[in-house]
Amino acid sequence: MPERVDVAVIGAGPAGLAAAVAARKQGAEKVLIIERAEKLGGLLPQCIHNGFGLFYFKEDMTGPEYEKAFVDMAADAGIDTALETMVIELGVDRRITAVNRQRGMMRFKPGAVVLAMGCRERARGALGIPGTRPAGILTAGTCQRYVNMDGYMPGSRYVILGSGDIGMIMARRLTLEGAEVAAVVEVMPWPGGLIRNEVQCLHDFGIPLLLEHTVSFIHGENAVEGVTVSRVDADRKPLPGSERYFPCDCLLLSVGLIPENELSIGAGVELDAVTGGPVVDQNRQTSAPGIFAGGNVVHVHDLVDWVSWESELAGRSAAAFADKSRLKRAEKVKVIPGRNVKYVVPQLISGKDDVTLYLRVERPGLGAVVKVGDAAKKRLRSVRPSEMINIDLEGRALKETGVSGELVVDCQTRGSD
Amino acid sequence: MPARETVICIGCPLGCRVRLSLDKRGKVISLKGAECKKGEKFVLKEFENPVRIVTATVRTGSPSFPLLPVRTSRPVPKELIEEIMLATVTADAAAPVIAGDAIVRDVMKTGADLIATTDWPG
Amino acid sequence: MTDLDTEVLIIGAGVLGAATARELSRYKVDVTLLDKGVDVGWGITKANVGVVNQGRDTLEFRPEYHRSHLLWKSLSMMEPLCAELEVPFKRVGGWLMCWDLPQKEKLDKCIKRTESLGLGKDRFHWYPEVKEMEPHVTDRVLGGLFDPEISVVNPVFLTQALIENARANGVRLMLETEVLDIEPGHHEFTVRTDSGTIKARYVINAAGEHVDKVAAMVNADDFVLFPIKGYVGVLDRRCGGLVNSLVSAIEDELGTMNIVVPTVEGNVLFGIQLQINRRGDHSTTGQMARGALENARRLVPDISPADVINAFCGFLMFRNFEIGWHECEVGMSARVSRFINMTIGYPGVSASPGAAAEVVEVLEKDGLKLEPDPGFKPSRESIPDFSKLPGKEQRALIKKDPRYGHVVCRCETVTEGEIVEAIKRGAATLDGVKHRVRPGMGRCQGGFCGPRVTAIIARELGIPETEVTKKGNGSRNLNYRTKELLEREAGDA
Repeated sequence: MPERVDVAVIGAGPAGLAAAVAARKQGAEKVLIIERAEKLGGLLPQCIHNGFGLFYFKEDMTGPEYEKAFVDMAADAGIDTALETMVIELGVDRRITAVNRQRGMMRFKPGAVVLAMGCRERARGALGIPGTRPAGILTAGTCQRYVNMDGYMPGSRYVILGSGDIGMIMARRLTLEGAEVAAVVEVMPWPGGLIRNEVQCLHDFGIPLLLEHTVSFIHGENAVEGVTVSRVDADRKPLPGSERYFPCDCLLLSVGLIPENELSIGAGVELDAVTGGPVVDQNRQTSAPGIFAGGNVVHVHDLVDWVSWESELAGRSAAAFADKSRLKRAEKVKVIPGRNVKYVVPQLISGKDDVTLYLRVERPGLGAVVKVGDAAKKRLRSVRPSEMINIDLEGRALKETGVSGELVVDCQTRGSD
Repeated sequence: MPARETVICIGCPLGCRVRLSLDKRGKVISLKGAECKKGEKFVLKEFENPVRIVTATVRTGSPSFPLLPVRTSRPVPKELIEEIMLATVTADAAAPVIAGDAIVRDVMKTGADLIATTDWPG
Repeated sequence: MTDLDTEVLIIGAGVLGAATARELSRYKVDVTLLDKGVDVGWGITKANVGVVNQGRDTLEFRPEYHRSHLLWKSLSMMEPLCAELEVPFKRVGGWLMCWDLPQKEKLDKCIKRTESLGLGKDRFHWYPEVKEMEPHVTDRVLGGLFDPEISVVNPVFLTQALIENARANGVRLMLETEVLDIEPGHHEFTVRTDSGTIKARYVINAAGEHVDKVAAMVNADDFVLFPIKGYVGVLDRRCGGLVNSLVSAIEDELGTMNIVVPTVEGNVLFGIQLQINRRGDHSTTGQMARGALENARRLVPDISPADVINAFCGFLMFRNFEIGWHECEVGMSARVSRFINMTIGYPGVSASPGAAAEVVEVLEKDGLKLEPDPGFKPSRESIPDFSKLPGKEQRALIKKDPRYGHVVCRCETVTEGEIVEAIKRGAATLDGVKHRVRPGMGRCQGGFCGPRVTAIIARELGIPETEVTKKGNGSRNLNYRTKELLEREAGDA
């Protein structure tokens, strides 16, 4: 650990690596990544499938390849790393308390902090699935680590609840590895993940996707013996009489990701109730001066490429703050989600600089028009909650329309998908 | 009545369900439902010669790094995926490995190699 | 063939068996505690909300009930016991609220009775005072009775601590040992188990959910048990401020017991929709979950469904429920000499210290020579809770053992040092570790730490990871190695 730290990055996944490299390139001399796991890369090493980097590198890469590209960049840039080190507290004043085996407790105050803790998977408890509490219920991401890295297969016959991307990708992986996936069960009327995953992970292998269904009961006292799957009504509640029993020895959950913000809360960072991540400005500065955030800790992204770009912005901004301590938070214009828009990031902009807005819709639709006040408009053939939308705003246009106070983002659609 | 097939385009979030009409020999006569030319091209290719990059792992025998991630060096015919997976059972990797190293050459005579996707110094 | 001779055999390592074993370990007497489970305190004890020091002001605790006496006897015992054993104990106080005047009259009766028994001077508080002490309670309550004695413990921690201390004082613990049958003899019982035969002069039946089945082995089952189950929801720690004390209300509907209660760990529990159960059914239903949440929100409207991080099935056995309310028995069987049944039902954890003391009295009266053991050590050290230690002690601990510097569970800040210590003290499963030092108890429910804890257990016990279970009995999370299934497929092809 260096004596002085200009920019401390918490988390060494794709967000943390990109932020650290960008901070270093921006001129921060001492950049330190703090990571709780044994190695850099976050979840990328376990994502052995391809589909990464199509935009960032213009290349179809696997998770480990994408990881290696950034780990190499970090090494070349001379970035310090502290592995198997847990940040246990982040103060309002940016003071970090961390702990590891070798150095015990460490306390230091870096020039700026980038939050890059990513997200965690929603677990069974939060779903309230009735039934017993046996072994063999895992989140899809935990299962992915076991199967692809640790070398273990939880079961031989699976039901997967939730059609998020990790769930569908695991449906394919488990099938490829010789297991049977009886069904992927999705409570919503549309799949939770990308269309390419629906086709290449489920259709390719004839894995049934049961839309508007849920797991309504878990059976088995010690180990999972099966699950009851029910159709749901308009309120997403199981419909009596629609039950079907699926024998299985493992239930995988892919039912949503939650930005990991326990440290942010401790630091007094204001969170957005919808994204679950910090409220950030166009430079990805949070409500705490000098604390920046990028990647899935801010909002859950669909593609890692966006995570990298957003985190680079956070890293550059952190370096600028550490250098001059004068990077003020842009707070002039509040970006507000309007019709059929679930959220927009960043939530705060200056109203005079070029900026890209990232948003997700609430419902799918065709013939969409995304309107940002009178400042910008984007037409899209189709929108889905599972796919992030970005829209560029020009500073000039913002100034011309004289935006101040609030800027509402709407998404009108012709009809549902 | 010509035979019909449906292929979903994955080029964009739209996910067009493209309906293909086929002649007796299975050749595409016409297609309907694609919103763009790029999609039509994709669907034709996907119908006539569906290919995939196959990603997998092979065993290393090392307790601290039991599995080495690999992929095919280029897309391979979809119907060979299962056989390629069986090939990952018998393959094994020995350190040191550098990302890009061929672990299995010309896997299942596809002309593609199974290559490592990460470094493993051992 | 006899594999073991013991003076007192206690069947069941729940809180009752544990308290009894620990109480007997004060004396020079050979005591064996056995359980069919892979760990201690995993039956009814675990399926519990952890409220203790009950007994002062609930109408059901009538003076003519044996159960009430055990509770009253335990009132002064629980806190010093927890202090000796370093088990976290919090005196939170408890409310019994009412919604209208007729219900208030019932509460007035409680007050009178409590005073007449000399158990304390409880007071009715009108709504404004309630609101001052419990700001999140609904505006709709008229007022409530406050019992300052009500406290919370973690019943599994208490059981583990009792048994650790009992073992340190010479009690023999046999796990994964199931009693198959018991043959009474003139001087001793012959107890056949799946891992050998035990001869015992006294048998104490504290088999919890199976207490009637064990009693039936010697024809001492002069009672009927009714299995009861309920739903208990767990709220995230960030909801810790929702209630300061146990909050409950008189309900019009029979069979509901609606409570919201803080735990010693800082979570909040809510429940409990009670219903008659099938034996061995430990499942929750959607109806129970919805009902429990609805009722909890009636009391504390700020409880949000989004903050429910977990739920479990609480269960217990009511004895002789057909008489209207259930009674307990802790004493020598009327039918079989030297055979003691312990059936408490609700609230067993509260009554456990008193019940254990009573068993010792009964044994002594029956002629068992109980000579105090001068070597008895009443205290037990808890596993260091790294996250709660002051910085100086944290640094010292890491210096002594660097594994305390390796945080494995982020949500609960649990270190490798604590996990290894838990395994040393008997945790052999994921739940065993979780119920001692809490990794996986937090909001991510083991998503990050699960694989790491599995690896630590495998390493410490010298077993493959595929043999690590959630809670014994073949409850494996990892059934195969990667490629194993493909290999079979290749073999078949």
